[in-house]
Amino acid sequence: MTLPSLNLLSQSILSGMFIGGMYSLIGLGLGLSWGLLRQINLAHFGFVFLSAYITYHLSSVWGMDPLLALLILPPAFFLVGVAQQWLLSRFHISPFNSLLVTFGFTVMIESLIQHIWTADFRKLQSSYAEEKFIIGNLFIPVPELLTLLLAVLFAFAIWAAMRFTDLGKAMRAMAEDGPIAAAFGINQRALSLVLSGLCVALASVAGICFALTFTLTPTQIFAWVGVVFAVVMLGGLGSALGPLVAGIIIGVSEAVAMAVFAPSWAPIVSFSLLILMLLFRPEKV
Amino acid sequence: MLEIRNLKASYGAAPALWDISIAIKSGELVCVVGPNGAGKTTLINTIAGLHRAGGGSIVFDGRDMTRIPPHRFCQAGIAIVPESRRLFTSMTVLENLELGSYLPEARARRQETLEQVCELFPAVRQKLHMPAGSLSGGQQQMVAIGRALMARPKLLLLDEPSLGLAPSIVMDMFDVIRRVNADGLSILLVEQNVTMAMELASRAYVLEEGRVVMEGPASDLLQRPEVRKAYLGLE
Repeated sequence: MTLPSLNLLSQSILSGMFIGGMYSLIGLGLGLSWGLLRQINLAHFGFVFLSAYITYHLSSVWGMDPLLALLILPPAFFLVGVAQQWLLSRFHISPFNSLLVTFGFTVMIESLIQHIWTADFRKLQSSYAEEKFIIGNLFIPVPELLTLLLAVLFAFAIWAAMRFTDLGKAMRAMAEDGPIAAAFGINQRALSLVLSGLCVALASVAGICFALTFTLTPTQIFAWVGVVFAVVMLGGLGSALGPLVAGIIIGVSEAVAMAVFAPSWAPIVSFSLLILMLLFRPEKV
Repeated sequence: MLEIRNLKASYGAAPALWDISIAIKSGELVCVVGPNGAGKTTLINTIAGLHRAGGGSIVFDGRDMTRIPPHRFCQAGIAIVPESRRLFTSMTVLENLELGSYLPEARARRQETLEQVCELFPAVRQKLHMPAGSLSGGQQQMVAIGRALMARPKLLLLDEPSLGLAPSIVMDMFDVIRRVNADGLSILLVEQNVTMAMELASRAYVLEEGRVVMEGPASDLLQRPEVRKAYLGLE
């Protein structure tokens, strides 16, 4: 172990924050559906990648500005989320079975992606991808910065909506005691559809950011499951701000571990944090 | 205002209510008493839409409620204070009360009703921004009643409001129930505390094993030897 230079360390912390933004943007919708709908929606990862591939296609094949995808994809994915919830509630699927069923969905999405875009690596080429600021000695790439900003924006917007609007309060009430919430007029079915739509729309936002930053390949879908699960559980199920904080903590610790030890240490960090959390504050998970 | 005929309900294959017929007139305070397991909670939950009726009919304000979805009961004017309160414990007291007035009509008068509830339960006003789960049992019961009143119901269903509370708080609670009833609210009260419930109610039903075994003016029932023996422990 050699101590990295101050410059390398601060660049590591910065890129850790950026990757943390990605973790939390993916984790936000996953945690909301887990905590409030009691569904462990593995298809969330499939939707992130599907959205990323569509963004790639819109931009690299059809020549659209990739940021326009932010206007098109979230509404379309909202409808996908509504349809998924309709299907799951129609068959009264338990939380554990939702894990299995949505794993199936993810495999289907992966096959679909492979069918359309093949298993080759795809990288979105856009003017944004190359842009970066330089502040002092630090590089700030624009796509990563955008990811972090969107992660912060959506986390705070959803936090505020959950806390200050009747609809948000109704969703929290429904998660805590569904039948009693219904007895006060809360239409659980309708709210669940909206909430599921919202979560999948958030997956599409994460996907757009993903396409701007990362090289795409279908098998990568499952590589993200572990660390994002850790982020969601560390942040608290159903919490809006929790995954943001947890994502940045895990992202920064990974990046620092990589700089100080070796890149292969990074995955150990997130799960060590999760295990420590489970040991010392199990009531928070 | 509420007319229940031949109501049946069950938990899976196990029947809980056999053939219940009860009625509540507008402005009346009716109580249902009976031993544990008699089906009192099932009855009140079925009237609130928390439990599905398996047969018979529930007509409220001239409207057949038997088959409508659970979230429509509140809109029709029925609000429940469920057994063991079931507050949204992770949310604040104020949020609990706001959720009581979730539907548009009640929401339009939220501030006004909130003021009335705080007058009824002065202790609640001090606790509005505390998590509901952090309150004492008696205060939680007040919030549960407040939440139901926030819906501005025509019929209030109370399931064992005195359960687990200190006697002085029970007195206060019954006093509040008497006051809201005097303001014209119809009430169906399920109680273990038979003497107090019967003193408050104009009419009463005695439930045993999912059937109505006695009914009549509460003062009459209190005089009957079988009631005195079974529920009051008096010879």
